[in-house]
Amino acid sequence: MSKYHIVIIGGGGTGAALAHDLVQRGFRATLFERGELTSGTTGRHHGQLHSGARYAVGDREIARECMDETRILRTIAPESIESNYGLFVALTDEDVEFEPQFVAACREAGIPARRVSVAEARQMEPGLSPEIKKVVLVPDGTIDAWRLPLQFFATAKHAGAAVHSFTPVTGILRSNGMVTGVEVQDLRTRKRTQVHADLVINATGAWAGKVAALADVDLPLTPAPGTLVAVKDRLVNMVISHLHMPGDGDIVVPQRRLSIVGTTQWTTREPDLVRTPEDDISYLLREAARMVPAFENARVHAAWAAVRPLAGSSDSDARELSRDFQCIDHAVTDGVEGFISVTGGKATVLRAMAEKVVNLTCRKLGINAACRTAEMPLLSHRAYFSLSEAS
Amino acid sequence: MSNVQREIRVQRTRIAEDGSRSQELVSYQVPVNKRTTVLDALEYIRSELEPDLLYRHSCHHGSCGTCGMLINNAQKLACLTAIEEVSDDVVEVRALSTMNHIADLAVDPAPLFADFPRHATYLRESEASREAVPPEEIERFSRFEDCIECGLCVNSCPVTRRFMGPAALAAYRREIINRPERRDELLAEVDQEHGAWACDRALNCSRVCPTGVYPAKHIALLQRELEDSESSAGGKSGEGA
Repeated sequence: MSKYHIVIIGGGGTGAALAHDLVQRGFRATLFERGELTSGTTGRHHGQLHSGARYAVGDREIARECMDETRILRTIAPESIESNYGLFVALTDEDVEFEPQFVAACREAGIPARRVSVAEARQMEPGLSPEIKKVVLVPDGTIDAWRLPLQFFATAKHAGAAVHSFTPVTGILRSNGMVTGVEVQDLRTRKRTQVHADLVINATGAWAGKVAALADVDLPLTPAPGTLVAVKDRLVNMVISHLHMPGDGDIVVPQRRLSIVGTTQWTTREPDLVRTPEDDISYLLREAARMVPAFENARVHAAWAAVRPLAGSSDSDARELSRDFQCIDHAVTDGVEGFISVTGGKATVLRAMAEKVVNLTCRKLGINAACRTAEMPLLSHRAYFSLSEAS
Repeated sequence: MSNVQREIRVQRTRIAEDGSRSQELVSYQVPVNKRTTVLDALEYIRSELEPDLLYRHSCHHGSCGTCGMLINNAQKLACLTAIEEVSDDVVEVRALSTMNHIADLAVDPAPLFADFPRHATYLRESEASREAVPPEEIERFSRFEDCIECGLCVNSCPVTRRFMGPAALAAYRREIINRPERRDELLAEVDQEHGAWACDRALNCSRVCPTGVYPAKHIALLQRELEDSESSAGGKSGEGA
């Protein structure tokens, strides 16, 4: 077993899956999060478990990975998923023309997309608009955006990972061009300490540029907030998506007795205090009502913004920037050894992202250890707060 | 929307050089509009005024259950509580005393889970499925439980003797509904002086629950199930079994 010590900065979904994978492969892992776990972007996710259908036309490989990970998450974390499938609905003639290309792309990506008649679809979802023209069924679902990562954290913790919330990293230690650890402040006690590490992984999402700057590394990244709106009542059971190229306001995700609409997107320099534009709320409800008319009269339960990290630096249109997952070895890009940054990706593929980053970690440190996280059921989210694994 | 300045008083933990801790209320001026929630105000204070302010939050829409607090002495989720709804005067925010205090408004919710049923599922059948026909790929429509494990009910409960508490007991009853095969085992676990019988029926739990779980109803129904099963078994009904 390796005695290498890896420090993870950031307690979002990526950090959760990293901590789990690292301890499973025999590393010592310590994670620092400045606030509560998943309080940055992860927890504010609308919760769509992506079959990959939404990305199939744009990028087959991303779509295929989403489908693979959907299958895996259903096996290892079924309690954090409402596995009710999803419907893509065509609203316009243009959408109808797009449908064959959409279905073909899904199938090429290994997504079992199935055409259903409008009548059948409205039996599954009586709340769907009678105006819809075509419908495709895909294996989407809803994630609990707090409890799924917590299952990873719980499993990691019970296997020996140290997870410290409310402990911001205040400095990154460097010696001879190499990152050797971090300085942290435990806000519970206000004490500062230095923690040495064989490798530091920056998994702070939209904040990754700020954290990289602590190591004098330039990481071009654009924080891109988006608005989400939840209305009272479960208006549908299945995820409902507009069958067109991904855009704003085209996803309805049911969860508990709520229905969430996502999302819009703009860019900012400061990810910490993002205000929800009032216009976005009415826009999102209007778009959702095209698919599910009950949104017209639904009562707003909450409106909030979540900040995605987009790779690259740009002041122009955020959609030009990549939504892909980035894993940057700063030894290669900046000549700084012992420091990796991970940004982007999707909640659905958090486990796969961690697998790739830990593969890189193993290569860098000369460790030969296979990833086992795809087969390993996760502990209950409640086990995170309990000394017993059986919660 | 126009912003007005409002005074928010927040519980802060002062830590002296020797490590001793004291609690105090600190006032902050925060710009608010009609939608500004207590959580938005805390986010403003942390980002603009006090970077070290500790509080829990995650989903910002009442699903994770991390931001339960005492807001003007009422048990509320900070993310769903608009400042303007609370008071047109000062708003005072304190940590839930029934959790393990970390510092400021942050707590460790571990005590909440101590008496939860083991291995309980977090999924239930979706009630919307009564009229809807699920696709052939799945057996039924499911959804997460209503209980978001925020602990507001436990904080509101006036019972001071040892008590499993409303959140755990509601979880027991939901587990019996979700998995009827566990009924006898689970009923035996709540049939204790500090279990279903410790409830004084104050009903605070049902009033403060932000997701409509109505724990008091579940506790009353557990008591009835216990009485029914004891009388059908010929045993004594009543307290202190």
